[in-house]
Amino acid sequence: MTSPTHAQYLDPHQSRTAEPTPYEKKLAAEIEEVFGSGAHDLPGLVAGLNARDLPAPDGSPWTEETFRTEMRRLGA
Amino acid sequence: MTTDTATPVRPGTPVRPSEVARPGDRTADRLFATGIRNQWYAVCPSDFVPAGGMKRLTLLGEEWLLFRRADGTLHMLEDRCPHRGARLSLGKHLGDRIACWYHGVQVDGTGTVAAVPGLPGCNLEGKQLVAAPHLVETGGAILAYFGDSTHAEPVPLTLPEQLTDPGTTAFLCYAEWNVNWRYAVENLLDPMHGSFLHRDSHSMAEGQTTARFRIRETERGFFFEKTDQSGVNFDWVELCRTGVDWVDLTIPYPPTAGPGGPFGIVGMATPIDEDRCAVFFWRYRKVTGWQRDTWRFLYRTLLEDRHWEVLEQDRVMLEDLRSDADQAENLYQHDLGVVRVRRMYRTEAEAQATGS
Ligand code: FES
Ligand SMILES: [Fe+2]
Repeated sequence: MTSPTHAQYLDPHQSRTAEPTPYEKKLAAEIEEVFGSGAHDLPGLVAGLNARDLPAPDGSPWTEETFRTEMRRLGA
Repeated sequence: MTTDTATPVRPGTPVRPSEVARPGDRTADRLFATGIRNQWYAVCPSDFVPAGGMKRLTLLGEEWLLFRRADGTLHMLEDRCPHRGARLSLGKHLGDRIACWYHGVQVDGTGTVAAVPGLPGCNLEGKQLVAAPHLVETGGAILAYFGDSTHAEPVPLTLPEQLTDPGTTAFLCYAEWNVNWRYAVENLLDPMHGSFLHRDSHSMAEGQTTARFRIRETERGFFFEKTDQSGVNFDWVELCRTGVDWVDLTIPYPPTAGPGGPFGIVGMATPIDEDRCAVFFWRYRKVTGWQRDTWRFLYRTLLEDRHWEVLEQDRVMLEDLRSDADQAENLYQHDLGVVRVRRMYRTEAEAQATGS
């Protein structure tokens, strides 16, 4: 018997506290695309992102260092 | 409930509520329906109980109150005031204790009456009268030991290594399903459903839809696995009994999820009552450094949604099972894992009911 004080807990988003920003969604989609092309190492990923014209947060092309830093911020 | 056969309890007699006979609680059917005792279970996500907060929960068919002190120390009490049985969860959080709203009796985190404000010096004071299970927190969840009256001391607990290994990173997904806990466990011991129920998902589209399975014993439980395919779909599951019951399984990721191989799931199911259960799925991956951070970013942004859709397929299927579904089955070779786990719990329920 379900008690009236008990609402079923079904929360599809438990790993984040806010909706991703448009930038985060675009970045995630581009990363998936590059991974999907078979590039699974860091140089290949950085090259793939730069080929897709999505600049790093400072506006310049991605480097391994700026990518690591941005992922540390977004994925910690 | 009749009281004339119960031994009257004088105020101050040190009887823990868990030792009070509750007719019907110890039958094998009741244990099978509401959970095997004398083991650990996952209770809820840690953040359900913030510092200074309280949380009321039903678990294994019983009512519980969790509360946390400002310094993070967590306590769990049976949600029943030792005075006249009011719900402690309606009371006030006084930092290291709960004051019952009804007559103010104060119970600390060990279940001991700390004060009876209406009658200072009352002989209830200093007595441990409320069940207060042992707790552990891991992987963002709270685990508690549920012992019966003859097994009050916790059994040794070995946590899943995936939740403690620094080379593995995990996200907890918690949900409550309107289905008996055993159906949730049996679903996990039934890898073949992945190729059908989840065929239209991001991770389980591949592989054969026919298979043969075998059971392989391990020191901590058993594997139920396909004999002819691994690493393609949901191809095996390991049931582990390490003080807490859990399953481990892996599901391949498509190349878009990047390096690190499949993602794994550590799963636990905890009975809420006979019609509901709480499910805990830690989605884990063995990745470190930038690979870890990138997976976690993708998980939060894109993958969690897709995993949730798959889980909803399971929930819809299970919640719509008739409660007597297992009374009219025709099982075949793929159901060996289901049969095994069901028999295991049934045997234990019967042993616990007779006290052997
Ligand atoms: S019932 Fe709790 S103080 Fe009386
Ligand atoms: Fe499933």
